[in-house]
Amino acid sequence: MDALAASFPGSAVSRDESLARDFEQRLADCPKLAYRVALGVLHNPAEAEDVAQEAMLRAYRNFYRLRDRERFRGWLVRSTFRLALDRIRAKGRRDRHEHDATRAALNAQPEASVETLVASREFERQVAQALDALPEKLRIVMVLAAIEGYNTREVAKLAGLPEGTVKSRLFLARKKLAESLQCLVKNTPAG
Amino acid sequence: MPCEKYSGWMTDAALGELRAEREPELLAHAMECDACREALSHARAVHDFVDRGVESLVAGEPSPHFATNLRRRIAQESESRRSRWMAWAPVLASALALAVVLAIMVARISRHAGATPNGVSDLESNPGPADAVIASIGNPHDADQTARPRDRGRSARTRAAITALPEIMVPRGQLSAAAQLSAAISSGRVDGNQLLAVQRESERPLEVKPIEIAPLEFSALADATE
Repeated sequence: MDALAASFPGSAVSRDESLARDFEQRLADCPKLAYRVALGVLHNPAEAEDVAQEAMLRAYRNFYRLRDRERFRGWLVRSTFRLALDRIRAKGRRDRHEHDATRAALNAQPEASVETLVASREFERQVAQALDALPEKLRIVMVLAAIEGYNTREVAKLAGLPEGTVKSRLFLARKKLAESLQCLVKNTPAG
Repeated sequence: MPCEKYSGWMTDAALGELRAEREPELLAHAMECDACREALSHARAVHDFVDRGVESLVAGEPSPHFATNLRRRIAQESESRRSRWMAWAPVLASALALAVVLAIMVARISRHAGATPNGVSDLESNPGPADAVIASIGNPHDADQTARPRDRGRSARTRAAITALPEIMVPRGQLSAAAQLSAAISSGRVDGNQLLAVQRESERPLEVKPIEIAPLEFSALADATE
C-alpha cells in the first residue's frame, strides 16, 4: 500500500487511503486476468500487455466510481475485452493471404496427429482465426472459459451474464469452432 | 436410417450436453456401427482439440516489467492530471478576481439606482392622507372619470374653486373627499399647513428608548410576603 501511495503523488489515491488499499489489492492479482483476456483476443503478447495496462489504467481512473468493489474483476474483464477489440479494429484486417497459405499447408499434412497439430504454431494461428470469426458475445465466454478453466458460474460472474446464457453461448461457440476447425483434423486419429 | 438420427447427437455428446436419456442409446448404437463410433470419436477429438487450442491461446504470463510499467504509467497519469490543473490555476484565479470586482460594481450600482425609484414607487403605491390632499388639488378631469356617478355633481361644484391649482393625480375613490378638503383649505376653514405638520409628525419613525428597571430588593419582597 505504502509503495503504491508513494508512487501516486498528489493523486486521488493518496487522498483516500482505503481506496488506495483496495486498488493495490486488485493490482496484485488482476493484471494477469486482464493480460490473458487481451491475449485471447489479440494473440500477441506485447499488444496484450499494452492493452492490459491501458485497462488497468482506466480502472485506476474510474475506481472511485465503482460502488461494489466485488465486481471489479468483471468490470476489468469487459473493459479489457472492449479495448482489445478496439485495438484490432484500429489495426485493420489481417493478411488473408498468410492464413490461406497456412491452411493449405495444414491440409497437405494428411497423417498429422491431434497432439502434433496442437503443438504446432500454425494450428494456433488457425484456432486464433476461428476464434476471431466468432461473434463478440460468443468469443468473450469462450476466452473466459479457457482462462484457468473457469466454470460456467465464474464466467457468468465475470461476463455479467446469467449462467444459462453463458452455458448456451459456450455450447454454441464450441460448436462453431469445431465446425471451423474440423477440416484440420479430418483424417487424423483421435488422441 | 438410424445413423442420420445419431449424427445430430454427436456434437452434443462431444460437448457433454447430450440429454441423459439419449446418451446410452447413442453409445449402444456406436458399439454396433463402426461409422458412427468413428464419427463420435472424431467429434470428441475435435472438441478436445478446440478447447486445448483456445487454452493455448490464452496461456501466458505478463512480463516481469508489467507491474513496474503499470505503476509508472499510473504515476505519470497522476502527475499529468495535477499539472493540467496547475496550468489552469492562473486563469481560474484571474477569473475569480474579475468576478469579485464585477460583483462589487453591480452591488454599488444597484444601491445607487435603487434609492430614488424606490421612494417614488412607495409614494405611488401607498398614497397617504397628505398625498390625497395634494392630489385633490390636481387634475379634476382625469380624477372625475374614475369617480362614481353620484359623486360627479359634487365634484363639478368644487371644480370651479380648484381650476387654478396645479394638476396632480388623485387616488381612486378619494376625489370627493379630497375636493371637499381642498375647498375647506382654500376658504380658510381648515389650516392646510397644520394638517401637513400633523401628517409629517405621524410619519416620523418611532424612537425606542430603553426602560430602566430597578432590581428588586429582597427586603421589599420580604415586607410584601409578610
